[in-house]
Amino acid sequence: MAVVPQGRSGTPGEAIDGLTPRLVAEPASGDACAAVLAAAAANSLSTVVRGGGTKSGWGRPIDAVDLVVSTRSLADLLVHRDGDLTVTVGAGVPLARLNTRLSARGQWLPVDSAFAGATIGGVLATNDSGPLRHRFGTPRDLLIGITLALTDGRVIKAGGTVVKNVAGYDLGKLVTGSYGALAAIVDATFKLLPLPHASATLRAVYADPEPLAADAAAIAGGQLEPLAFDVRAGDTPEGPRWTLLARFASSPAAVASQIEAARALVHGETTALREGLETRAWSEQTGLVWEGDGAVVRCSWLPARLGEVLAMVRAMRADCGVTFTGRAGTGSGLLRLTGPDAAVGAAVVRARHDASPVGHVVLLRGSRELRSQVDVWGTAPSAPAAALKRALDPTGILNAGRGPL
Amino acid sequence: MCGASAVLTEPVQLLTYECDALPHLRESPAIVVLPASAAQVQAVVRLCARDGVPFVARGHGTGLSGGALPVPGGVVISLARLNRVLDIDIPNRLVTVEPGVTNLEITRQVAPFGYYYAPDPSSQQVCSIGGNVAENSGGAHCLKYGFTVHHVVEVEAVLPDGSLTRIGSRLADEPGPDVLGLLVGSEGTLAVVTKVVVRILRRPETVQTLLAAYDTISAAGTAVSEIIAAGIIPAAVEMMDALAIKAAEAAVHPNFPPSDTILIVELDGPATEVRELFAMVEAICRRTGATTVEVAADEAHRLRIWKGRKAAFAAMGRVSPNYYVQDGVVPRTKLPEVLGRIRALSERSGLGIGNVFHAGDGNLHPLICYDESVPGQAELAEQVAGEILTYCVEAGGSITGEHGVGADKKDYMPRMFSEHDLDAFQQVRDALDPQRLCNPGKVLPTPRLCGEVPGPYREHPVERAGLAERF
Repeated sequence: MAVVPQGRSGTPGEAIDGLTPRLVAEPASGDACAAVLAAAAANSLSTVVRGGGTKSGWGRPIDAVDLVVSTRSLADLLVHRDGDLTVTVGAGVPLARLNTRLSARGQWLPVDSAFAGATIGGVLATNDSGPLRHRFGTPRDLLIGITLALTDGRVIKAGGTVVKNVAGYDLGKLVTGSYGALAAIVDATFKLLPLPHASATLRAVYADPEPLAADAAAIAGGQLEPLAFDVRAGDTPEGPRWTLLARFASSPAAVASQIEAARALVHGETTALREGLETRAWSEQTGLVWEGDGAVVRCSWLPARLGEVLAMVRAMRADCGVTFTGRAGTGSGLLRLTGPDAAVGAAVVRARHDASPVGHVVLLRGSRELRSQVDVWGTAPSAPAAALKRALDPTGILNAGRGPL
Repeated sequence: MCGASAVLTEPVQLLTYECDALPHLRESPAIVVLPASAAQVQAVVRLCARDGVPFVARGHGTGLSGGALPVPGGVVISLARLNRVLDIDIPNRLVTVEPGVTNLEITRQVAPFGYYYAPDPSSQQVCSIGGNVAENSGGAHCLKYGFTVHHVVEVEAVLPDGSLTRIGSRLADEPGPDVLGLLVGSEGTLAVVTKVVVRILRRPETVQTLLAAYDTISAAGTAVSEIIAAGIIPAAVEMMDALAIKAAEAAVHPNFPPSDTILIVELDGPATEVRELFAMVEAICRRTGATTVEVAADEAHRLRIWKGRKAAFAAMGRVSPNYYVQDGVVPRTKLPEVLGRIRALSERSGLGIGNVFHAGDGNLHPLICYDESVPGQAELAEQVAGEILTYCVEAGGSITGEHGVGADKKDYMPRMFSEHDLDAFQQVRDALDPQRLCNPGKVLPTPRLCGEVPGPYREHPVERAGLAERF
């Protein structure tokens, strides 16, 4: 047990892809974290960094995990510089807890994960995002500084605590989306935004996807500035329904006028949602594909191809159960596919065909069998990404081969 | 491989390429090549990689940190001939260009459709988009709209080993680490970019601008804090102090009210939103003691305000024989404290220091006045400029907000980063450029050149020709 500092036996609650790790370490500082990684590298331990564990079943199926490095004890740090609109926060702090703290001062980190327990480190490592990315981008766009623990035992910083800074390499962006394959995130610094004064959402429901796609293009091509701009396809008792959601957040009068302007542009059956109804609609939208059984597949498209994407979604319904949510403005969506693994796997493979309107098709959630049958990531790491992996994790201990790196 | 007319070796031809817009740092390259295609760039880099020859990519030479300073005996790869706009995709709001296309040209191309390219460095009329990618260029409006890194989605680049590759994606959520985010702002040290795909934005429905005059810089600072605290993110928040106002007035007569400090606030967005928030900003300015609040009545008025602001750098020449432009960042709430220290430094050193800055994001551009005909003053100005960076770092800020580290500030890097941090940067660099041929001698300190001090500002030929102004 003394192979890594303060290592102890793993428990089933700390499983990665259903496998209980032999060892768990919970370092309480960057230095301690780096020491654990150095020991893991010296002993060639297959190591996974774990935050809230909300995505620990993602990625290629694995055979064994020697060591889980939990960020649970990297959760005390939270320095909110409200006058500067910045925050420095430990990797183990849950995003939701951070935003509760920030809201006391009228600010927020405008990132919406579908997972209640998601931590800052995990959100960055997976570049997790939700409908708010329409206005604010993904976590990498809000990140201004980072502290990393490297596998050679060093703790390093990149960026800083000011919103404008071009000194040095932006290693924070580099580790964003790396799934813990390059280094462990110790803490992160973000720029923040003031909470909007008022907010309302226009929901438009359609019986068919074509008019929805046309309306989405009309809104995107105009001068309305939605905070979030989403689309959804799912079954209702009345049959399949196609929904467009446009959220406006600004001063009260500006929200009201934009809701009306948007209503004038769309042809679906509209409802303006405010306060509790609005909050509920967006939490439903964010969580929809993750609830219930089934595989979850992420895909991306050029925004002008939304109509083709919705047609693809409709066609998929011939072979599996399909629920779909997506970002109409950025061209990013999630499909929940239910049915036999063979049918779901075939749908993923079809979505990767050259003629498909979507790309970057990734099987995020799926049974071990499905993830063995289908290439989870659908792509190999680029040459520069592979070179950076070799440089920062020369013994290849990090991430247990789950990918994408 | 690029044709005889694309290869310069005569000393008189090489002269143009000895420096960028930081003219006190000069080196003569052995050869300058002007490839006209990505394949030609690749062929040149391959040759350099094969023979171990260092190379430096160069856009239009407007950089302010010596990022395009040649390496003695090395190759300069000018990307000026890769200047085609390759694709304009309005429905998907993407424009594909070669690196030699100027920043403003992108906006010119898409303006007829009601779109623009957001990052607006003050050299935007002449600076190249490839240079913007290298430097992660900002501008006056990055408080709300971010930097180049927020607007570039994909590049094609030649890696230091000579391979041509795509980095990033037109589509969202490419799996894997954000290598593009590392590349943008790496100051030409990791790759030579040969194609850039940028996102364009719809023109905002309304833009409104006001100018508020104050008796003290701290009152203006309070106004900025209150605007932010009120939940308003302006498109731009700029400040000028008395010396900068005097210089701008002498140069372009913007009719700024005589005052200690001027604050410029610009809001943009949907008309109702701008109207409502602008009234709040106006009220805050009056409440915090503005002696005058001037709201731009029309576009001409707005442009006159911005002309005064943008002229401030070049205008320092009206009030001082020489001056030195510094670029540093402090947390916004530390602005009054750091400006106080700069004022004390000015009194102590006897050198006038004008301050023009992006107050919204704490990016300072102190203009240090001196007379090089007075023995010792140039050296004193350099020391003063370095001292200001120390104040920025001590306040928790940065040694550069937008001009880059380049060759100019690499020896200041240890003030911000530990030995471990710098080693990690070097490790990342070596992963992509193991032979250390790609723009060597930039960004990271090299013991060989230690003690080299950054130098004074001199007018760049493009400024002299009236083609560009500086922020």
